[in-house]
Amino acid sequence: MANIQIREAIRDAMREEMRRDERVFLMGEEVGHYNGAYKASEGLLEEFGERRVVDTPIVETGFAGVGIGAAMCGLRPIIEFMTFNFSAVAFDQILNNASKIRHMTNGQFSVPIVFRGPNAAAHMLGSTHSQAFEAFYAHIPGLKVIAVATAYDAKGLLKSAIRDDNPVIFLESELMYSKRGEVPEEEYLIEIGKADIKRPGADVTVVTWGQGVPVALDAAALAEKEGIDAEVIDLRTLRPLDDAAVIESVKKTNRCALVYHGWPYGGVGAEVATRVQDLAFDWLDAPVARACYEDVPFAYAENLENLSLPSPERALAAIKKVCYRT
Amino acid sequence: MATVVELPRLTDTMEEGVIAQWRVAVGEKVKRGQVIAEIETDKATMEFESFDAGYVLKLVAEEGETLALGAPIAVLGKEGEDPEAALAAFKPSEAEGAASSDGGAEDEAVEAPEEPEPAPAPEASEPAPGGDRIPASPLARKMAREAGIALADIQGSGPHGRVIKADVERAITEGARAPSKPAEVAAPAGVTISSETDEHGRPYVSKQDRRVALSQMRKTIVKRMGQSKREAPHIYLTMPIRMDRVVAMRAELNAALKAEGVKVSFNDFILKAVARALRVHPRVNATYTPDGIVEYGDVHVGVAVALDDGLIVPVLRHAEQKSIKAIALEVRDLATRAKERKLKPAEMTGSTFTVTNLGMFGVEEFMAVINPGEGGILAVGAIVDECVPENGQVTIQQRMRVTLCSDHRAFDGADNAQFLATLRALLEQPMALFA
Repeated sequence: MANIQIREAIRDAMREEMRRDERVFLMGEEVGHYNGAYKASEGLLEEFGERRVVDTPIVETGFAGVGIGAAMCGLRPIIEFMTFNFSAVAFDQILNNASKIRHMTNGQFSVPIVFRGPNAAAHMLGSTHSQAFEAFYAHIPGLKVIAVATAYDAKGLLKSAIRDDNPVIFLESELMYSKRGEVPEEEYLIEIGKADIKRPGADVTVVTWGQGVPVALDAAALAEKEGIDAEVIDLRTLRPLDDAAVIESVKKTNRCALVYHGWPYGGVGAEVATRVQDLAFDWLDAPVARACYEDVPFAYAENLENLSLPSPERALAAIKKVCYRT
Repeated sequence: MATVVELPRLTDTMEEGVIAQWRVAVGEKVKRGQVIAEIETDKATMEFESFDAGYVLKLVAEEGETLALGAPIAVLGKEGEDPEAALAAFKPSEAEGAASSDGGAEDEAVEAPEEPEPAPAPEASEPAPGGDRIPASPLARKMAREAGIALADIQGSGPHGRVIKADVERAITEGARAPSKPAEVAAPAGVTISSETDEHGRPYVSKQDRRVALSQMRKTIVKRMGQSKREAPHIYLTMPIRMDRVVAMRAELNAALKAEGVKVSFNDFILKAVARALRVHPRVNATYTPDGIVEYGDVHVGVAVALDDGLIVPVLRHAEQKSIKAIALEVRDLATRAKERKLKPAEMTGSTFTVTNLGMFGVEEFMAVINPGEGGILAVGAIVDECVPENGQVTIQQRMRVTLCSDHRAFDGADNAQFLATLRALLEQPMALFA
């Protein structure tokens, strides 16, 4: 086992897939000569050259569209957004082309493309650079959406995403690129659409993903001190959603709390909550509770930003609420 | 608009109450703070002071009636106002009765650390007027259906009186809530002639069963003693203690205190010695909770007092820091007021260990049930003359047997034995109690 950072896991996944399949290429701002804004593509230009590691101008809608066209023509592009906040510029390409071409051409064209980059609030990046985009993309039929929180998951799921014949949104975290984890030396893949129990427990199911995972685990540790045994489920894939894993856990614990980076209104958390009430109604002992962003644009000021984020303490409050503990 | 007076929460553990006596009548003018009724709670009969002023328009509750918290008991308002309009519009308030008990948060924590109960919902036991839907979590509904228990028979402890999993589990283990008013069978004064006869064909005389309604105190005893025996694995260690010196010292002390009119009992010596021994062995002054063993910082000794109907445990606070004379005076006062049901809730909560003594009835040795929230109870027997071999000679000694009944989850036999050894040393050399 190698102990590597998430950024290295992402680079290794891309490198292995580029070695394996010459149709795979990487495109984005600063991915080549600068080795990636967060050094997730370090050394790839050197190994694969400028034809397969392409530095672009600052035109997200342009290179996203070029990538979709290339995918339609048989290549397998990886498009890096320096942050998913910038993907807003390319939203029309993703919403109206990437997700719909296969459907509109009755399968004559497929779009095997990965859009990847950091997502959600980092630290004091202000209102327009602190947004979590999974709710927007998971909303769209025709896309797959992945959010990773460990090096192992990042590598295994990115390789699966690159091999997938459909467009995949792959969400990383600026705050977590340096987080280390064990990764097998030998090649492995993780199936898209499978959640992972990051911490087993009996009293309450805590559903989370991406940057929410460390928050949920810290909250579970706090809950343990109060005698609550929390099970933390990392969804890993947000679309398609692993209902079975969540429902099985909720049927065991009878309680569900959601901990995630993202606004509350109409997001992935709301989708999980509605599936839980639909599929496990008779097993629920309390309404599903959430700890997520406050329903506001983010402030730049650190103290105000902290008030908007789901902290372990706020996550603990949600856990205690569903356990009827005050 | 007239004001509806609700049954207030007068003790921490009160779930229902009985109007023991009305102190006001319809038409009478009531000032804020005036005592309007005596209410029998699970612990004591307490005076209820009105939060509002006005004329008594109606007394809704009858004396002797068992009522849920928040139930309307009376209507106050302007002279001549119609009370029925206020009653029709009445909804039990969200906030529980404003008269909280005197025992603060600390006492509450001490009393029931083993059962962190969700916030009580005063309206829980009665469905809202006009609506027959009982709030319950989906899981609770399913569990109740499968267990064949009607939701209406389960007391909900969640928000808005919602019945939750824990409530159904409790109902399953305890059986659904007993009918709120066990009818008192009128016991006929006379007797009947039995159909059974003796060998001469003469019929026996038969007396009818008498069923006594459960008092609030009896219900509390039922609940807490049952809980203790179900949850706490009791262990029992009995130790004989030589009491000759205590007997002599008590006589000496009482002679000295005669002028003051103070009389010290054996139990006062025992209470003092127990409190001192608890200070030496803090592991025994402790209780089990799922989150860990709580070793109490203070030594508050509960003193079991028998009443005509049940028993009550007033608390001798900081007992190890009080002199035997002070203990004697305080216990006498507590016991007297306990028998008159005049103790305040704060005087009956917060004990960390209990002493129960049946020696005065000639009981030599017995086992007791631990008070939930504590780790142990000392059952004290009578002082009796015994023949004891000593140095090859038979000697006659005055001895007493004490049995420490303790919760094995909190501490073990060796802890108990060491505590008993210290207790014995203190009582066999009682001068140490004055040190």
